[in-house]
Amino acid sequence: MRLSFSAEDEAFRDQLVAFIHEHCPPEAYGGRDFIGSDPSGPDDGTRIPDWARDWQAALFDHGWMIPSNPAALGGRDATPTQTLIYLEELAARGISRSVHFVGYAIVGPSLLEFGSEEQKALAPAAIRGDTVWCAGMSEPNAGSDLANLSTRAIEDGDHFVVNGQKVWTSYAMAASRCFCYVRTDPDAPKHKGISALIIDMDSPGVEVRPLRDMTGRTEFAEVFLTDVVVPKSNLVGERNDGWRITMGALGHERGGLWVEGVAGCQRAVDDIIAMIQRRGRGKDPVVRRRLAELYSQVRGLRALGYKGFASFARGSSAPEHSFMKLATSELRRTLCEAAMDLQGAALAVTDPEVSEERGRWQEAFFGLLAGTIGGGTSEIQRNVIAQRVLGLPRGR
Amino acid sequence: MDFTLTDEQEMVRETARSLFARECTADFLRAAWDDPSSAAVLWDKQLSGWMELAAGDVVDLMLFVEEHGRAVAPGAFFASLLAAQVAAAAGRELAGSASVAVAGADGLWIPHEGATKHFVPSAAEVDEIVVVGGSPEAPTVALVPAARVARVPVDQMDGLRRQFRVDVSGVEAGEPVDPATWRHAVERALVTCAAELIGVGRWLLDASVEYAKERVQFGRPIGSFQGLQWELVDAALELERAAAAVSYAAMCVDADDADRHRAVHGAKAEAGLAARACARTGLQVHGGIGYTWEHDLHFRLRRAYAGDAFMGPSGYHHDRLAELLFDERHGP
Repeated sequence: MRLSFSAEDEAFRDQLVAFIHEHCPPEAYGGRDFIGSDPSGPDDGTRIPDWARDWQAALFDHGWMIPSNPAALGGRDATPTQTLIYLEELAARGISRSVHFVGYAIVGPSLLEFGSEEQKALAPAAIRGDTVWCAGMSEPNAGSDLANLSTRAIEDGDHFVVNGQKVWTSYAMAASRCFCYVRTDPDAPKHKGISALIIDMDSPGVEVRPLRDMTGRTEFAEVFLTDVVVPKSNLVGERNDGWRITMGALGHERGGLWVEGVAGCQRAVDDIIAMIQRRGRGKDPVVRRRLAELYSQVRGLRALGYKGFASFARGSSAPEHSFMKLATSELRRTLCEAAMDLQGAALAVTDPEVSEERGRWQEAFFGLLAGTIGGGTSEIQRNVIAQRVLGLPRGR
Repeated sequence: MDFTLTDEQEMVRETARSLFARECTADFLRAAWDDPSSAAVLWDKQLSGWMELAAGDVVDLMLFVEEHGRAVAPGAFFASLLAAQVAAAAGRELAGSASVAVAGADGLWIPHEGATKHFVPSAAEVDEIVVVGGSPEAPTVALVPAARVARVPVDQMDGLRRQFRVDVSGVEAGEPVDPATWRHAVERALVTCAAELIGVGRWLLDASVEYAKERVQFGRPIGSFQGLQWELVDAALELERAAAAVSYAAMCVDADDADRHRAVHGAKAEAGLAARACARTGLQVHGGIGYTWEHDLHFRLRRAYAGDAFMGPSGYHHDRLAELLFDERHGP
């Protein structure tokens, strides 16, 4: 066990930092994926801001989009340790690689792992951000129980005809393609009748209805599919073998997210301590102890992430990482609540004229409330840990 | 930061695990509870040979002591590890087993001139006592034969590690120790305590998960019930987070890293809270059988709470961490 990195890895870090200083636009320091963040554009999630396109393309072209990939896929054959350094440097600065994570984090890796040669060729544009993708997963009756999805694809000659409805589909308004899970065998057990299709969003019968979320932003949508014709060549992987791809997709989504989760916790706790000092509350013993408790948890989670990474880098499974999504999403929420509680009766005030904090904690809190729901709820995370990490029997 | 263990470190852990599993049987623990001197054989035949750990890397020490905690091992070894690290601060080596007399009535390891030292672990079972006096700014350390000081037992919840009130009024002033060196010794001792608590928590969690798989009620294993699963998941998360924090603290102390003071206080607090959480949850999972004297669970539950309190409870260490964060901190 050791604290420091090799000279070679530190050189990698220096190169990255130099690249960031040279190329990263100020808008990318937002710390979150958000399509409608272009102040000059409409706030309806329909367009990707120019700065975001340019930034993602620059990352790809210089081999910094997914460093572990080969150059043709936006990388530089980085080692797992270097990837960790990369994620840390970005997360510590709150830098987003892309305003739409679906393409590079979910679809690109899924196409490369399961797609035909023709489909694999779509991956570079997905990772570079040239093609905006959405993922058709959740449905009104298939949320946590994703395998219950009922969007039907019926074979008809050389194509499928798709009917159904998707919901919470991030970036659907801006997307030109959808990586969509459909039921191809309604008689098979529910996990065994699912397939993955690539659907062109401008196909006749695709209707996108934007959904405004509780923060007031429009980032996700309902997608209605009515008699949508999809060529059979758009089937990804084997027919009825789509569940395996969903498992991979969620894995891709979770892969390096712990780094960002921990960095978000660390930024929050440092920020709260500074706020306490600024507000002259630094001598209050109750406040001090509470912050020390939270700080210990943040540092413990950071260490746990690294411990899991040590197994991961050696090619072993990392049960530690199963805890990270659950723990960081809940702790980030707790930290925001702690920050709001420190504002006393002004907890509910977001008016910048009145509140010293200008409503920034409240805004962050509302954003982070999605963190314990999206990508697998905390409840599902606990079930999965109970069964796969602790080895407890499945409930009924 | 790399948590990968070397082959030698893996071997330390494996050796410790099999040693303690072999020696610390249920009967052995009960005999030691009734008569602490019956545990002397463990020190004489096995653990006295492992004292070199106290002078080596904290990471290795941590791995060994975690297994000691899992087995809730009785005897003079644990106190001797702490004593050896304090004696080393004064350039001294132990002649045999030993304990540390430093704490005041508040149990904190803050050097003071008082003749009465509290919470001295295993004092009746050791050959020597390391007596710490002076003040936090000018600590002193003396090494005396245990028989030279009066040791009064104080009833404790953890009967496998009894603690004593020791009267050191007859002991001559010790050798002065540099305060930074003293602090380093205390930090090594704190990581030692934290590592033991992680081991205690691991036994409690593992035993509870196994029991939940086997125990059938309402026609199925109780481990299939979501309410119980989530309790165990939350305890496991707390334990894993604390275990990682302790490993990090051990690395920081070995590397003399600038983050070590914060890391050590955080690790002791997290480990204490995690062991307690595993004890509470573990007892709840076991139900009535876990509440019996016959079951080994209560030995760990006792060690979890007593261990959290030893060298200052989690609240104390959080407050010390708060000082580092609010009073000494300049930037992250």
